[in-house]
Amino acid sequence: MEELDGEPTLTLIPGINSKKRQMCFDWGPGEMLVCETLFKKKEKEEKVLGCPFIYIVRKDIDVYSRILRKLFNESHSIFVGLQRIEEESAGKSRKAQLVRVSKNYRSVIRACMEEMHQVAIAAQDPVCGRQYSSQVSILSAMELIWNLCEILFIEVAPAGPLLLHLLDWVRLHVCEMDGLSADVLGSENPNKHENFWNLPGNTQTLTELELKWQHWHEECERHLQDGTFASNPHLESLCKVMLGDDNALLEQKELLSNWYHFLVTRLLYSHPTVKPIELHFYAQSSLDLFLGGDSGPEPLDNILMAAFEFDIHQVIKECSIALSNWWFVAHLTDLLDHCKLLHSHNLYFGSNMREFLLLEYASGLFAHHSLWQLGVDYFDHCPELGRVYLELHIERIPLNTEQKALKVLRICERRQMTEQVRSICKILAMKAVCNNRLGSALSWSIRAKDAAFATLVSDRFLKDYCERGSFSDLDLIDNLGPAMMLSDRLTFLGKYREFHRLYGEKRFLDAASLLLSLMTSQIAPRSFWMTLLTDALPLLEQKQVIFSAEQTYELMQCLEDLTTGRPEPRDLEGQRPQDDDIETTKVEMLRLALARNLARAIVKEGTLEGS
Amino acid sequence: MVSVINTVDTSHEDMIHDAQMDYYGTRLATCSSDRSVKIFDVRNGGQILIADLRGHEGPVWQVAWAHPMYGNILASCSYDRKVIIWKEENGTWEKTYEYTGHDSSVNSVCWAPHDYGLLLACGSSDGAISLLSYGGEGQWEVKKINNAHTIGCNAVSWAPAVVPGSLVDQPSGQKPNYIKKFASGGCDNLIKLWKEEEDGQWKEDQKLEAHSDWVRDVAWAPSIGLPTSTIASCSQDGRVFIWTCDDASGNTWSPRLLHKFNDVVWHVSWSITANILAVSGGDNKVTLWKESVDGQWMCISDVNKGQGSVSAITEGQQNEQ
Repeated sequence: MEELDGEPTLTLIPGINSKKRQMCFDWGPGEMLVCETLFKKKEKEEKVLGCPFIYIVRKDIDVYSRILRKLFNESHSIFVGLQRIEEESAGKSRKAQLVRVSKNYRSVIRACMEEMHQVAIAAQDPVCGRQYSSQVSILSAMELIWNLCEILFIEVAPAGPLLLHLLDWVRLHVCEMDGLSADVLGSENPNKHENFWNLPGNTQTLTELELKWQHWHEECERHLQDGTFASNPHLESLCKVMLGDDNALLEQKELLSNWYHFLVTRLLYSHPTVKPIELHFYAQSSLDLFLGGDSGPEPLDNILMAAFEFDIHQVIKECSIALSNWWFVAHLTDLLDHCKLLHSHNLYFGSNMREFLLLEYASGLFAHHSLWQLGVDYFDHCPELGRVYLELHIERIPLNTEQKALKVLRICERRQMTEQVRSICKILAMKAVCNNRLGSALSWSIRAKDAAFATLVSDRFLKDYCERGSFSDLDLIDNLGPAMMLSDRLTFLGKYREFHRLYGEKRFLDAASLLLSLMTSQIAPRSFWMTLLTDALPLLEQKQVIFSAEQTYELMQCLEDLTTGRPEPRDLEGQRPQDDDIETTKVEMLRLALARNLARAIVKEGTLEGS
Repeated sequence: MVSVINTVDTSHEDMIHDAQMDYYGTRLATCSSDRSVKIFDVRNGGQILIADLRGHEGPVWQVAWAHPMYGNILASCSYDRKVIIWKEENGTWEKTYEYTGHDSSVNSVCWAPHDYGLLLACGSSDGAISLLSYGGEGQWEVKKINNAHTIGCNAVSWAPAVVPGSLVDQPSGQKPNYIKKFASGGCDNLIKLWKEEEDGQWKEDQKLEAHSDWVRDVAWAPSIGLPTSTIASCSQDGRVFIWTCDDASGNTWSPRLLHKFNDVVWHVSWSITANILAVSGGDNKVTLWKESVDGQWMCISDVNKGQGSVSAITEGQQNEQ
């Protein structure tokens, strides 16, 4: 039964608003078709002018963004590199590697953001500009979330460094700062604190740090109580802030962009040695205090909160819902999986969360005319269903150019996807035949091991030969090699061409034997025998005797086989009476030539030198 | 997010009954009550009319593209009791075969997996199902299953090709032994599964009962290599069922109710990797359903018809979240 986690997204298709019509739907390989229709099939109905439009609708249109394409390309390289990281490396070095990967992903997001920002500014059309800006905010949010995940899940910063990382995190994302307040609210003090704490050497224990901080905190308190700042309310409130007074801090709310900024500042002044597991308490209260009941949390807030609660699955789930494409969750989840953080969250069909997301993402890539190639690598790293998904998707890639077709075939061949290879070769063979490129058609049928089609194409070649008197694509036919065995007709084609070659090289005896064998072995189709016998004529008329007596008898037999058997359905459609005459004349000529040859052969063989 | 990327003006003069993308998403075939079948080239967001095919004498209900390895071939079926197969030869589309063996409207046509050759199933209001099989050189062989469904057959859908045992490189000329199966839905409220016997005859293999009114559509899900088979069905009774069969012999099918709509459900169709089911009909909407992480089916999108602006998307632009 359906369990809705939230309302499904509603997409309105414009059209005539009629209560009486329904929508017709079809799946394309990467898109959907919808149109207005009336399903109730009435036999006789007056012409109803419906909406004649078909709407082609697509999900994941992000693949079409030129700027995001860089994101897809570069993150693809990082992804592939990550999959290859040695499993053996453990402990610190592995963690360092994973952190590096995470930082790489983030820098790619930032680069994309920067470029989109430039485009947004330069945009002439304000609507366009707004759309780009909105995309920039989305990317910024993605980087924010990723960064936090990196700190909490990958870096796994302990108490102490944790706060510093969080300070960096906030600083990176909060742009508006000014003057003294800025000092207090985080930008300069960390430096002082850094010096104070003497990091990154980390030579002090947490307890030592806490003691030092306590000492400083007490001093501040003393100053406040002594009224040192009584004359200057501004400084006094500053001192209160530094003592972690929430109310004082909240008074500066306009300078705090958001609740996590508030959170980190609070922590800085009240609990700098916060432990990771304590974070979510502070986070929740910060959120509540900051929003103050004015508004509810936004999706981004929920995601960050889930992160502070170390609920990785919730983070992934919320991100999947909030973001329009799978890029973010797919790559982040994959990375977290490499950190061994995901419990095997088995899906009903046996795949796990990581694979589920990667399959979705990669499927989206296949909708694009060149990004699909990236998708291949993603499928390769999905052990359960990656292969079958690849098989289903790769067959749908339009093979508009030979180059693209070869690329697709290479991919299939490397993975031993023999069915797909065969199918693609058959498609290409058919296309070639339709465009009259017989040589190409033949190569493809051979590659597809499609005997039936090879026969069809060979027939076409032979038909061409009969009509024009010459072969096209001689190179191909001459070099068939063992492929010739694919079909009888193909073998015949190859051998027939060989006959012509032998004749051209004046190797008449060999040519003659071959010609005869083509008929006696039944490889030559009956319809072609007349042509073959006619080809024998010049050999029969040579000065020297080429066909032996025995061979001549066999030829005569063939001729008789051919001529008695009539009337039979004509091979050429609708032969006219004149054709009959031509046929009769040919037969007569052959009989004469054969008889003459027989006579000469007998004589030759009868004399002493004859062989 | 779902966005309109192209709008094709078919210029049909009457109600459109079906629109189908070809294998690659480059061509679109449509058919209408105006008795015509039209084919458009829709690459790169454009639309070019390639063919306007006339030949039917009544509303045309469905079109179906054959696998591209057989060339450019389209089948259409109509109220006029005919099934017509169209083929592109030398750049022009022509009628290549016309089948008139039914006594009543032909409601549904479906091409079999390409592994079986060029084979078309047709379901008709006369209750019969015909199987048209191309034998080469312009010859089509016909097999008919009479009284497949009492009152009428509304839908036919083929099972994906599965070879018993492994498919090792077959020597050329030898056909592997496929067990051909398809599903049909009819006015007897039943879904029937049909199997081809060794003697080439078609036999009823299974009867799936769950609907309380006419079955309007059946869709056999593409295979993703798992031993389970899945069929979706929808009916006049407003229900959509997902049927699954776990054993390889295909004997026990269990239905699961996806949803009960308030109105007739007309069509169900699977995406190419079978992970999303589209349901059209009730409430003038198309809903998309997906199996979630824990095996529950949930509605992920509502594609609705109505007034309202939809921004056209061009490269580089992005919808606001």
